[in-house]
Amino acid sequence: MTLYVLRRLLQLFPTLAFILIVVFILVRLLPGDPTSAILGDRELDADVARINRQLGLDRSLIVQFGAFLAAVATGDLGNSITLKVSVADLIIQRMPVTILLTVMSAVIALALAVPLAFVAALRRDKASDAVIRGAFQVGLSMPVFYLGLILLTVFGARVGWFPVGGYGEGFFDHLYHLFLPALTLALSLAAILMRNLRSAIIGVVDAEYVQFARAKGIAPRLVLLRHVLRNALISTVALFGLSIGTLLGGAVITETVFAIPGAGRLMVDSIYGRDYPVVQGMTIGLAVLVSLTFLATDLFQAWLDPRVAQ
Amino acid sequence: MTALMTRARALPGPLLLGGAILGVSLALATFPGLFAPYDPVAFDYNALSAPPDRTHLFGTDNFGRDVLSRVIHAYTIDMQIAFFSTIFSFVLGTIVGAFVGYAGGLAETIFGRIVDAVITFPFLVLVIAIVSVLGPGLINMYIAVGVVGWVFYARIIAAEIVVQKRLDYADAGRAMGYTPLRVIFRHLLPNAITPAIVYLMTDMALAILLGSSLGYLGLGAQPPTPEWGVQIAEGKNFMTTAWWISVFPGIAIVVTGLGFSLLGDGLAEVMRTRK
Repeated sequence: MTLYVLRRLLQLFPTLAFILIVVFILVRLLPGDPTSAILGDRELDADVARINRQLGLDRSLIVQFGAFLAAVATGDLGNSITLKVSVADLIIQRMPVTILLTVMSAVIALALAVPLAFVAALRRDKASDAVIRGAFQVGLSMPVFYLGLILLTVFGARVGWFPVGGYGEGFFDHLYHLFLPALTLALSLAAILMRNLRSAIIGVVDAEYVQFARAKGIAPRLVLLRHVLRNALISTVALFGLSIGTLLGGAVITETVFAIPGAGRLMVDSIYGRDYPVVQGMTIGLAVLVSLTFLATDLFQAWLDPRVAQ
Repeated sequence: MTALMTRARALPGPLLLGGAILGVSLALATFPGLFAPYDPVAFDYNALSAPPDRTHLFGTDNFGRDVLSRVIHAYTIDMQIAFFSTIFSFVLGTIVGAFVGYAGGLAETIFGRIVDAVITFPFLVLVIAIVSVLGPGLINMYIAVGVVGWVFYARIIAAEIVVQKRLDYADAGRAMGYTPLRVIFRHLLPNAITPAIVYLMTDMALAILLGSSLGYLGLGAQPPTPEWGVQIAEGKNFMTTAWWISVFPGIAIVVTGLGFSLLGDGLAEVMRTRK
């Protein structure tokens, strides 16, 4: 197990390298160049040369990439052009909002998917199974921004149970403000997890070890929790890890719809404002977050099923 | 004719329903002018934000444009998005996956690392980052999706080829002295491609979601082009006063997405029963 954890930690490096290479190339592909983006219309040859030197753009690509790696390693992601603060500070400020939103929606997704998957699997091919699967099929084809807009209009503006966006003050107010966005984000993930978990439960519910557990006289509820759920969860946890990237991508849109001051909304705003250092920093931040979650779900999967680690 | 009917009845329901939805979608996408009652970009200042009635079935937007006609014309763009965002990934991924699966060894190891790296990357964030650099618009979106999307097809095909290449008929092909190219593309690939086609259906549904999301954010199709995401964005400030501007394009997205995933599910079912 220790070996597996170490090996899995080592695997982070190619992923991180890929992220940094992609971001580095993207920045070089910018229409015009960062220098003219900074100078705007006031472009003078002397200024161009000075800023090129400042940014290290007069050196070879390899040297530039080395400098970029060194800067990222020390947490220096440059400064925002429009907000005049360091990108690292912005990440520290905005990322917790996005993380809280993502965690909340993951919790909601699981709270919806697990019980519904059980109902659908145990009443396979009955009416309740068909209704649950149909509803989730629709949930899968529902775009996040559309669902968000409808929930916002109905439960925010019309009924008035929830605020129409924003983030609020204090932890519980945050939770209250983030409930609708998190629910929006959760539904498509819940649909994916539910479909997988349903067939996984159907796959193990008649397995010999489950029949044996029942024959031993263990309470049916305990059999479901300890024997069926634990084994059915293995592939679902893997799928959950794979879905984290999609979830964070959805967070970008959800934050925009609900006007939540998170990393995703900042990223979209920075695109409109051509604030490339921020776009770059947020891309790196979100990608690193996904890799770490991916690592966590892999380790959790290995704990559920020790064979994975071998 | 009756034989055809019985065969059609033997097909799974999802396949037929999905096929019907996509058939109608394709017809609307190809000949929008035949079905749309009005010009999708014509302003009618006498009917601003008019609710749905007999003259405007889906109502009109804040410029007096007929929402139904805009939804119908948007089929052209959104079906294009479904096709062009996936087809390059499908072709490239199939070719790369076939070679990687057949070669095995080092190629497979390197490819495995690439897959690991790409899979952990938040897809939408990457696409948004690429589009932000290349500029908004559909072509740049296709490029952004293609850069990443092929990996998923390649992974599916490689896994299938690894199984197929060990079977007797592959050995037979090699024993006949056929070149690896001929064995891969004439013999192995036809037996390995089905899962990739099933994934293609899911992927097309996802492409419509992605394309309309970018349209909503202002990074995809540009107004006044009728595109569902753009239309939803245009109506978002009128949700409490004129819900029909945003709600109907959204229904079109859900129904079309449903069509693709039903067709994919149905295809998968047919393939399973054949096996």
